[in-house]
Amino acid sequence: MVKKSAAFPAGLYAMLLFALAWLTLPRVFAPLERWLVGSACFVPRVGSAWMGEPAMAGNREELALIGELSADLRDRVKRHDFAGSGITMPNDDKSILCGVLSVGRRGGGGEPSELLLDHTYAELGDYREIVTKGSVLLGFLLKPGVGRAVDDKADDPARVILCNHRDAPRLYAGLESKDGTQLRFVIEPAASVDPAPLRVDFWDDPYRASKLQESQQRVYTLPVMFGQERVPGGLLVGRTRRWGYEQDDGQDTLTIGMFVTPAVAPRALSHVVVWQSGEHAAPPIEFQSSLRARRRIQATVYDLPGATHGRHMLVADEDVPDGAAVVQDGLFLGSARGLCLGSALVTSFAASRQDWSLLFLPPEGEGGPVELHGSVVRTDGNVAWLRWTGPSREQLARLGEGFLFTGSNGKFCPACLWIGRAVPDQFERNLLKVIVPVLRGPRIAEVIVAERDV
Amino acid sequence: MRRWFWWFLLVPQGFLLVGFLQDLGLPPLDMAVLTSLYLAWFAQRSALPFLLLGVAIGRTLVDEATLPVHILVIGIPVALLLPLRALFVAQRWLWQAVAAALLAIAIPKLAGLFGRAFDQPSVSSMLDGWQVVWSALLVPPLLSALRFLPPFVAFTEPTGLLKVVAR
Repeated sequence: MVKKSAAFPAGLYAMLLFALAWLTLPRVFAPLERWLVGSACFVPRVGSAWMGEPAMAGNREELALIGELSADLRDRVKRHDFAGSGITMPNDDKSILCGVLSVGRRGGGGEPSELLLDHTYAELGDYREIVTKGSVLLGFLLKPGVGRAVDDKADDPARVILCNHRDAPRLYAGLESKDGTQLRFVIEPAASVDPAPLRVDFWDDPYRASKLQESQQRVYTLPVMFGQERVPGGLLVGRTRRWGYEQDDGQDTLTIGMFVTPAVAPRALSHVVVWQSGEHAAPPIEFQSSLRARRRIQATVYDLPGATHGRHMLVADEDVPDGAAVVQDGLFLGSARGLCLGSALVTSFAASRQDWSLLFLPPEGEGGPVELHGSVVRTDGNVAWLRWTGPSREQLARLGEGFLFTGSNGKFCPACLWIGRAVPDQFERNLLKVIVPVLRGPRIAEVIVAERDV
Repeated sequence: MRRWFWWFLLVPQGFLLVGFLQDLGLPPLDMAVLTSLYLAWFAQRSALPFLLLGVAIGRTLVDEATLPVHILVIGIPVALLLPLRALFVAQRWLWQAVAAALLAIAIPKLAGLFGRAFDQPSVSSMLDGWQVVWSALLVPPLLSALRFLPPFVAFTEPTGLLKVVAR
């Protein structure tokens, strides 16, 4: 007979509970994990001495191509994101391109509704409230210590609420109907269970609105005549999405609700534009912000024997932060998980299954870069299939063969690192086939870490 | 103390070794299936929590999810199979093969579930039919050998050291 105490493995259950507590408070237990897994890496680290001399870099032509493409991407991101805006902004306003550190907080339509930027409130100085991208209105920059940002301080990352945030102001907007007349309405954030992030709350002509038969019409902000103008007119908010009843016998659909899908999917956002007021322009102060980690340390990347292809071990002279990008001459090798004593485990893009914010660069002369959000669903050798969301219909139509780069994926994984060539899948349009370069054996790379003295 | 040293030194490296052998052309086998069946049916109950920790550390080397996720992914099937140990005193291979196949299905499914719940998706959440078949075929003979070899032998319960009864 088995004793009762032996039949009830309290220790095992305690370990499972401990794992749950660990997942709930990951920061508390992070050092423990670094040491436990780091100790297990000691054997491969010793074994790495017999893996041969690390290679320095790829061939010169490839490096030149990656360098050119990265420079082209940066240039086109700026051109595309700054273009269109400024039409109704005061001329002396200055626009600043900011990276997105993280997206979060579920808002209307179940989509994220808050962004944290890679600039602090203090860096942005005397800024305007609206946040744009090209001619698209994205949301509103908060003020530290006020409202939703009540706990924020001036040196915290600037917080943006998107138009679908429950605290976002209602927008006065309109669309041009088929007969050329304008239909005006008020947009407000939708509920999280609604089919789209924004909904039309109040029409100037409900009768005409009920007769609307088109979807995907562009919705623009309108200038207000009375009171304080928070949003200038002429900015694109998104496209309409009609909700109603299908009628029999080919009759028109009965429209009962109208929603608006934002022009840019929040999860795909890598960069946004913030406007600094030119009225009381303070002298520019050069900040070396810790939010935009750009310091690179040298490291050696080894293939882990037998691990899934695309899993590597990294050895550096300093501790490596979690999520740090590992780069070799502009080529993104993967993201690192830091361990003790300067070692880290690296998962390549193809072997990862995490969500990525990405930039797709079409060939030259075919428009601006496309912001994507997606995750790898399948890998076969050096080819990864990425399931993506984000691009608008126009962008989708011109999505051909191009190049894939990282978008903003947190503090230590900035945008514009080259991943590989990409082409839409022949059979499924929401799959992107990404061909990454094959690199084998130990090699010298760089890891992006925090600035030292900030 | 020495047995723990060998456990934490060798078992995590076993995950790398199994993958290395697969690269050489051997059949796909999930080391997590092998070790979790050993923990559930052969290992000393009192040692289970830290044996589980050693296995989870090994899986963290080859999979991008974090250590606590692996503790849950391996620990939950072990906790469910553990009460069945009393019913399988004879350690018949048929039951081991069935349990190994179930584990080869349950572990990726749990990895997918916890990956979604804790935002840590990983490549091991993909169910591979061949892995299920090979687990059912290879785990019983491998276990019958492994539980007599270090570091496993030091943690095997006396009943687990009995020879397989062929009926």
